[in-house]
Amino acid sequence: MIKPNRKWLLLLVGLVIVFIVDFPIITVILNSFRTTETIVSSHSILPTEPTLANYLFINTRTHFWTFLLNSIIVAFASSALAIVLSALAGFAMSRYRARILGGYNQALLIVQMFPLILAIIPLFIFFRNLNLVNNFIPVIMVYTVTQLPFATWMLRSYFDNIPRELDEAATMDGCSPLRAFLQIILPLTVPGIMAVAIFSFLFSYNEFFISSVFLRDENRMTMPVGIQSFMQQYSTDWGSLMASATLGMVPTLILFFFIQKYMVAGATAGAVKG
Amino acid sequence: MPVKVAQRSPAASPAVAQTLRPPFQPLPYLLLLPSLALIFIIEFYPFINGVSFSFHKGTLLGTGAFVGLGNYLRLFNSPTFYNSLWFSFIFAFFNVLVSYVLGLALALFLNLDFPGRGFCRVALLVPWIVPAVVSIVSWKWLIADRGGLVNIILDSFGVGPIYFLSQSGWAMVAVIVIKIWRSFPFMMLSLLAALQVIDKSLYEAGRIDGATNWQLFRHITLPHIKNISIIQAILMIIWSINDFETPFLLTQGGPSSATENLILLSYRYTFGRNDVGLGSAVAILTLIILLVLSTIMMRQQGKST
Repeated sequence: MIKPNRKWLLLLVGLVIVFIVDFPIITVILNSFRTTETIVSSHSILPTEPTLANYLFINTRTHFWTFLLNSIIVAFASSALAIVLSALAGFAMSRYRARILGGYNQALLIVQMFPLILAIIPLFIFFRNLNLVNNFIPVIMVYTVTQLPFATWMLRSYFDNIPRELDEAATMDGCSPLRAFLQIILPLTVPGIMAVAIFSFLFSYNEFFISSVFLRDENRMTMPVGIQSFMQQYSTDWGSLMASATLGMVPTLILFFFIQKYMVAGATAGAVKG
Repeated sequence: MPVKVAQRSPAASPAVAQTLRPPFQPLPYLLLLPSLALIFIIEFYPFINGVSFSFHKGTLLGTGAFVGLGNYLRLFNSPTFYNSLWFSFIFAFFNVLVSYVLGLALALFLNLDFPGRGFCRVALLVPWIVPAVVSIVSWKWLIADRGGLVNIILDSFGVGPIYFLSQSGWAMVAVIVIKIWRSFPFMMLSLLAALQVIDKSLYEAGRIDGATNWQLFRHITLPHIKNISIIQAILMIIWSINDFETPFLLTQGGPSSATENLILLSYRYTFGRNDVGLGSAVAILTLIILLVLSTIMMRQQGKST
């Protein structure tokens, strides 16, 4: 048994570690309420004269809200598509045995390690010939594929936890296997599926590389690409950069709060289920 | 190809399959079809193209003459390529090593029973979950030459300033430290998951037999987290080699290619120098390195199950 005093000491140590680890994120938020002059000249990290000037600047002088909207569109579409595709594949892997399913599992492992730059070079040429550069479609398709390994393994493990007798009984009663899946298994796994959907939304929302290759027009940029373009335009205007970074991570932190209890299962899905 | 509904007991299934000979079921194939089609368009077809590009001269506007292994030979004779290979290697090595040590220490800490540990666990995951671009904005200010917090602190001790992003050695340190900061929470989380399923009674039995804390760790904890450690370490090596965002957003590979990993090199050859052949050859070589690592990982998974 741990003595009561030691418990509070551990909490104190924990809070100090949290402060050190999260310090860069804390400074972004604090600095977003200070002007660039005070950020650079002041020796304190606390905003002594908090101001919303940086937020007003990015609200009126930049395309920030367009970036945010674009990010939400791309992340929503790709996570929805990834969930539909991986639910179908996950159901097949959970309920059937066929040689192709083992092969598909290997394919997912390769997808997980595939260096995207190798696909991006031909895809850029391919989609440019189709006039789809600065279009969300290629980005959504690439994001969906990168989500498939993780989402399929997670959903498969949720389906595995639903007793087979349930859908076997339904099939016995004359229900087709697909209908049994849609009407019996799927409703029972909705909370897990939502968590996977939010995970995959977050990955797409945060992603920079693929968006930066395909979305170069200012009206099409996603939030990370937009903030990177700010970094180049206003490289020393720390106030505006910090405000855009703070706003950019608000959706991430909110969604993260909802799914954090699913995180442990998510972190080991790739390793254990593969 | 024989297809049958999965049985509860794997030992009994081959015999059952033989005697019953169920009819061919198209459903599992149909269920995989949409995913396979997308993987084909987004990764397989580009992969075939990429192999072909790597054997040709070419620009983003069109493929040129067949040069055989010419692009690869150019790479093998170029110090830039070895520089990127080397940076990819030390980037992955230090990232996995330090992330593992930090992750394990914090996982052991969070596995203790104290109030507020749920909060600490969530708060320690934040560096992993925020967008890369947000972390880089923050770190760029912390290590900025003028007005950055680190240099202000160094200045108050009469040291510095250190020009983190314009000196090769310091730029490498900065990129690696920031990558560690972004990836250790994942290691911590998976190790914590492994620690939480260890049967507590093992430790009690060990204590009754008079084992020290170190002996408990060495003989109970370590064997239980060995497999997950190896798998997560290899996974993290693969992700480090594939990382584009940390070095690109922080230094764009500079100064003078000091922080240019293989992915950035391939990107610069392709989109900067418009040399699709050379860019694709770098990407193919990266794939080969990753395939070797993944094969080792799959072997390890085979052993552990």
